[in-house]
Amino acid sequence: MKIAAVSENRLFFFGPAKGGNLEGESRSPSEDADEKALRERCGSGDISAFEELYRTHGARMKSLAANLLGSRTDAEDAVQETFLKIYRGASSFRGAAKLSTWTYRILVNTCLDQRRRKGRAPDLTASGQADEPEAEVRSPAADHPLRMDLEASLASLEEKHRTVFLLFEVEGFTHREVGEIVGVPEGKSRTLLFESKRELQRLLRRRGIAGETRA
Amino acid sequence: MSGCNRFEEATRREDPGAWRAFLAHASGCADCREELAAWEATSHAAPSLKKSWDSPNLWPRIEAAITAQPSDTPVSSFREHRRLTWVPLAAAAALFVIAAVGLQVLGPTVTTPLTTRSMKDPLLEESALSEVEKSERAYVDSIGRLSRLAEPRLSQSDSPLFVSYREKITLIDSAIGDLRAQVEQNRYNTHLRRELLAVYREKQHTLEQVVREAKS
Repeated sequence: MKIAAVSENRLFFFGPAKGGNLEGESRSPSEDADEKALRERCGSGDISAFEELYRTHGARMKSLAANLLGSRTDAEDAVQETFLKIYRGASSFRGAAKLSTWTYRILVNTCLDQRRRKGRAPDLTASGQADEPEAEVRSPAADHPLRMDLEASLASLEEKHRTVFLLFEVEGFTHREVGEIVGVPEGKSRTLLFESKRELQRLLRRRGIAGETRA
Repeated sequence: MSGCNRFEEATRREDPGAWRAFLAHASGCADCREELAAWEATSHAAPSLKKSWDSPNLWPRIEAAITAQPSDTPVSSFREHRRLTWVPLAAAAALFVIAAVGLQVLGPTVTTPLTTRSMKDPLLEESALSEVEKSERAYVDSIGRLSRLAEPRLSQSDSPLFVSYREKITLIDSAIGDLRAQVEQNRYNTHLRRELLAVYREKQHTLEQVVREAKS
């Protein structure tokens, strides 16, 4: 359901994400066929299919992992581990979900698992920055005055809330996709997003920020 | 905080109509306009968190790692313990295959009232649906309890066995997520419901194994 919002044709948690593009109403039959073909190639162990998957989703996977883990190096390790898991399981993948959704689900689980093993949340609060890599980390969106505070506040959210916020608001997945990735119904994804935004508001207020900075 | 509670009310109700009414209200309420601006600012700022950097060596690294192992073989990341760690994954794969084949082949001969009725009609009736949902809730509760018991060992241990259990649980969770998403779309589908129960059962069994291993 798409409903016009205040100024940007997006009704906070009711509407679709900014750019969900894994599947959904907008997927054409040829996209489905492409996905199916890619899945079959992956299932047969065709390395070029995995490379295609990487070319299509690698950048977004790195971004998501970097935000979940707070480190570029850890993010790359998580992406690599995800591909290994996909490779091991691809032929038994039953195709109930899209290969792409499955890929992100494994990535998210891998990141959360990695963080639990290390026993820490992304270290963003001390410096206000993630473990910035030596090489340049660029945000495709123009920098925003709230970015550093938002990043620090995000690190204080509970795991599931942080994940849903990152998937929907930062990476632009739809609630349907977020639900499939996180393993919750679509409605629950909306609720989690709402709760995460409300908590972020509270945290930003505590920092004396929300309500003062407008986009 | 705002003196007006309409924003809080509107955001609590997942109702586009209530939201539209709130927007109309906010145009004349300074408190709510401020709340709304702060709310939107979070969404406006979010894309700036997106990270992007070049990793020219990442794909070659992944490719090398992939080609170093056979496809679809449950290989632990701890190569020296491969003999140990493939067991739970292989068992999981085998159980999935058995469950899937079993549901297809034996399903119609199962004689409980619920499944007999279900096989005559591929869609569940309300009373049957309620029974199935009750069973699912029982599994979810049991899994929740077992997860709490297994979690400390699962998250802390880097032993190959527990690493492979973690991977197996990740795969099972993927399957649960897939099926739940499908069930969301079609609550009355007997086959999906039974598959979901089979996967829940598998997760329960796996967690029981983890708890047993942790105790031993």
